[in-house]
This record gives sequence, C-alpha cells and structure tokens, in this order.
Amino acid sequence: MDEQPVMVFKDVVKVYPLPAGDVTALEGVSFQVDRGEFISIMGPSGSGKSTLLNLMGCLDIPTTGDIYISGTRIGDMSDVELTNLRRDRIGFIFQYFNLFPLLNIIENVTFPMMLKSQRAVDPEKGKEVLRSVQLEEKLFTHTPTELSGGQQQRVAIARALINDPDILLCDEPTGNLDSKTGAGIMDLMTELNKKGTTIIMVTHDPHIAEYSRRTIRIADGRIVA
Amino acid sequence: MIFWEIAKRNIRINVLRSSLAMLGIVIGVVAIASMGILGNSLVASVSDSLSSVGDSVIVTPYSGGGGGFGGGGGSRSVNLKITDQNFQQIKRVAAPNVAIPVYQTAEHMKIGVGSDDIVAVVYGLPSADVPDLLKLQDGVYNNGNSGCLIGPTFAKDHNLKVGSRITIGTNGDKGTLRVMGIIEERGMSFDISTDSALVVTKEWFENTYNRDADYDEVVVKVKDGDTAAMKIAIEKQLNKRKDMKIVNVMDSKATLATIYSTFGMVTTFVTAIGGISMVVAGVSIFNVMMMSVTERIKKIGIMRSIGTQKKEVMSMFIYEAAIIGVVGSTIGGVMSIMAGYAISALVLNTTKHLFTIANAFSVAEGMGFGIVICLACGFYPAWRAANLNPIDALRHE
Repeated sequence: MDEQPVMVFKDVVKVYPLPAGDVTALEGVSFQVDRGEFISIMGPSGSGKSTLLNLMGCLDIPTTGDIYISGTRIGDMSDVELTNLRRDRIGFIFQYFNLFPLLNIIENVTFPMMLKSQRAVDPEKGKEVLRSVQLEEKLFTHTPTELSGGQQQRVAIARALINDPDILLCDEPTGNLDSKTGAGIMDLMTELNKKGTTIIMVTHDPHIAEYSRRTIRIADGRIVA
Repeated sequence: MIFWEIAKRNIRINVLRSSLAMLGIVIGVVAIASMGILGNSLVASVSDSLSSVGDSVIVTPYSGGGGGFGGGGGSRSVNLKITDQNFQQIKRVAAPNVAIPVYQTAEHMKIGVGSDDIVAVVYGLPSADVPDLLKLQDGVYNNGNSGCLIGPTFAKDHNLKVGSRITIGTNGDKGTLRVMGIIEERGMSFDISTDSALVVTKEWFENTYNRDADYDEVVVKVKDGDTAAMKIAIEKQLNKRKDMKIVNVMDSKATLATIYSTFGMVTTFVTAIGGISMVVAGVSIFNVMMMSVTERIKKIGIMRSIGTQKKEVMSMFIYEAAIIGVVGSTIGGVMSIMAGYAISALVLNTTKHLFTIANAFSVAEGMGFGIVICLACGFYPAWRAANLNPIDALRHE
C-alpha cells in the first residue's frame, strides 16, 4: 500500500456567505483517507455531509484549512486544474446514476477517457471495465434508459473507474435501488475495494454503512466519531 | 469529438424545435440574399442600358440650373440654343476628341399610304460623325439627304426595314426619306435616345427646319475616359462669367456613378429590411439555445463533476448553434438563388444577370450573416451553461 494518503483534510472550514448572515457548514474538519480504505460518512440532514462531499470531490474549495488529494493541495487551484483533478483522480457515483441518455453504454463509460485523451478512444477498455462490473455484454450498445436501475448503477461505477482514479466517491449509491439490487451493488463495491480501490461513501443507511471498514460520523459541521 | 456528437444527437432528438429555429435562419438568408440579388440584377440591367454613354460629355444650352431641376442662384437663361461660335469653342477644347453637334425636334410622319399620323423624335447629325455615336444593326450609314437611320424600337413598332419609306410632315410637306440603316439598341441615354427616333443628316435637318448652326446640344466623345476633366475644361471656357452661364455640361460618367450609387443605397436598404427577419431568427435561436441549456442543467452539472472543462461544455452548445446556422444558411442559400431567379424574372423580365459574382457575394453574405447570427445568439447560452456552478447544477431538478 502507498504510504501517501489519498486524501487529507486539515482544519477545514466552509462558510457560505448569505444575505441573512454567514452559514458555517463545516467547522474545523480534519481527517485522512489512506489508499485502499473503504469509508462511509454518515450524519443527519443538515450536518454538512453534502458540503463535505463537494469538498472531497473538488467541486468546491474550503474557506479556510487545507485539503490534499494524493498530496496535491487544492485550495489554490484554478477551475481548470480542479476539473482535471476530478477527471483524473476522482470517480463519482451518484444516487440517480446520472448517465447521459444521448450516449450509449460504451460511450457513457468511455466519456471521461475521451475528456482525458481529447480524442476518440478504443472502446475495448470500456468493455473491459463493464465486464469487471458484471454487466452483460449484449447491453453495451444500448442506451441508459433501456437498462434497469441496478444495471445503470453498474455502468455508472464503470464510468467512475475508467480513468483509474485514486478515490471512488459515492453519494448514496444504493439510494435509488431496491434492497436486493442495492446489496448487489455493495457487493461489487466491496470487491473493488478488495482489489485496492479507495472508496468514500456518503450514506444515511446504517446497513449500507456496514459494508465499509471505517465510518466517519458528522453532526453540525463537525466530525463526532 | 464527443461534444460534436452530443450536439448532433441533441438536434436530432429535438428535431421539430431545431427545424423551426433553422426555418427562421432560412427565411432570414433568403430575405437578405434575394433582396441583394434583385438589387444587383437591377444595377446590372440598368448598367447594360447606360454603359454605352459612359464616355460622353453632353453640353446643352444653359437653362437656369446645373442640368437638373430649379435655377442656379442669380443666373439667367440667355440662350436656349448652342451657337456655332459656342460649338467652335467646345470643339477646340475637346480636340482631339470628337464634338458632335446635334439638332433635335419632334415631327409628324406617316409610314406607307393611308397609314395613321405618328409623331417621333428626329435628330440631325453630321454624317461624318454618326459612326462615332451610333452603331448599326442593319443597313448602311446615311450620307445623302434622301435617307435616314431609324431606331430598332421604331422599326419594330412600325414594321420597317432597310429600304422602307417614311413620309415626313403633317401632310407629307417635308418630303420622303428612305430607311438606309437600323441603329443598334442603345437603351436609356444621356446624349440622344435613338431607339424610337429617326436620325437624318445635318444638312437635311437645316434645310427642312430652317436652322442655321444653332444646335440643341453637343456631344463630346472622350476617348481617354477622363470625362470629369473635359467637363471642367468646357465649363471653364464657356461659363467664364459667373453671372451669365452659356451652357450646362453633364459628365455622363459622374451621372452614371451617381445612379449606381443610388441603386447601391437602395440595394443596401432593401437588404437591411431583409436583415430584420434575420434578427428575428436570431432571437428564436437564442430562445432555443436557452431552452436547451435549461433542460440540461443537471447534465451539465454531471459533466462538470466528472471532469468536463468549461470550454468543452461551451463548445457543445456552440456546435449546436453552428449546426443550426450552417444547415439553415445552406438551405437558405439554395432557396435564395431560386427566389432571386423568380424575383428577377417577375420584376426585371430577365434572369440573364442572375449568375454573377455580385449575386454570388450576396448569397455568401446572406449565408455568412445567418451563421454569424446563429453563433452570436448561441454564445451567451453556451457561456451561461459553461459557467454554471457544478454544485448548483447537480442539485437542479
């Protein structure tokens, strides 16, 4: 396992300036994620989970404090650099799958690859990743709307993995699936973690959180456990 | 690239909306290009009629103004004919160019026995100078006092041929003339309009109408083309006194330039009116693009979150606008040629001026304007899409 942590939060504060007064969403949050970890982040609504997720996903920058992704400090990065960091180092998995309906499955999966290479890519890598998430080959040329929820989430996982990211960031990955399909997805995530993929998962479902090896609990913008 | 593909597919999936936006561009391009074609064809048509007189300076007796309407300040009309003395002065100034004295009157005449009395213009010109001024389509130049030349419209209207006879005067009292030649069509002219007229010898005209070197006008054919200098030289010689002008001098080339300039302005004006429809089309494109952005806010958020740069999001929408612009403008360009053909045929009764460089430019101008309008109207929606906050966009439902 690589010595360098894939993610470090140091005294991170996030304040949203609003007309009615500043709102502090995160207050002095510090933690570290080592390579190969499977972490779940839990907390009630309004606890700061979404803000934390946005910061971990480099969609936002902290008001104060430092965030490091694979040793790179994100606080001073430009939008272009942050976007490249998201593309190359982070894989996103959303609750509602968020595939592109205008693209077929292979195109959806290879989309981040095309962003990286700036040219048409060999679909074989996409097929390989789709096979690794156990999606039937006959579905590769279908459009997302022709797939079930569980199948769509497998495609979304494949898309998140295509650029070999350092971290897989999951926002309620089973929140839109029935329990059996959800369990299948979690089994897949566990398997990916066993192969070395670092996973950070935001969830409010304690059963789903049980799949992770560490849980960070957050309340009122602070880590409580 | 994938964004080009997404832009194409988005247009295909919203085919009705995209087609309506394209239709606006098609109408705009057709309006601009066909108005341009009409204007160019009009100029070309007039140019055909007038270009043969572009090397002339026409001198007429001073009539109180600069050859146009109204008077010229305190000046007075002192002579409605050009005297032989004046003509000799003009001739000296014009040398080595040819100065042609012209007599002109309207006369009654009959064609054949028992025919109706008609009235036509009769010009009297020195026989030696006629070839410098007129070209024949049939027959020979007239050197004798019993012959005449006639214009092509006159010949056609009265079914005259070389050798036909025309009886001059109300009761035929001015004798009979034989048609020696038929003049080539000259169209509108500043010097003499011969299409529906007779041209006789100077001597016949002087004898018949009792005229003696008091000309109605003098035409100077300027070989080197510098008609402006010739105009100034003649005016300087003959209109020496500011309070008593002798002649009006018209530079046909300058007059032509004024006419072309006026036609140019008219063309620009009607094209600008066509441009209004393009602006309306642009508003439609803007609306379509804004709808397209609003519909895809969430998708934009996803794209941005997984590593799509702002410029790539922007390119996707610019591609959409460009596709609408290029396809709409191309269809519009083809249709504007057809519209230009139809308008030219209906308004000018000819389509021979359709395939010209000026008209090709008008079509290109219309198409270019269509594409530019599409890109310009697609720019803000694209910019707005690219600059959406990814977090807000992801939350959008």
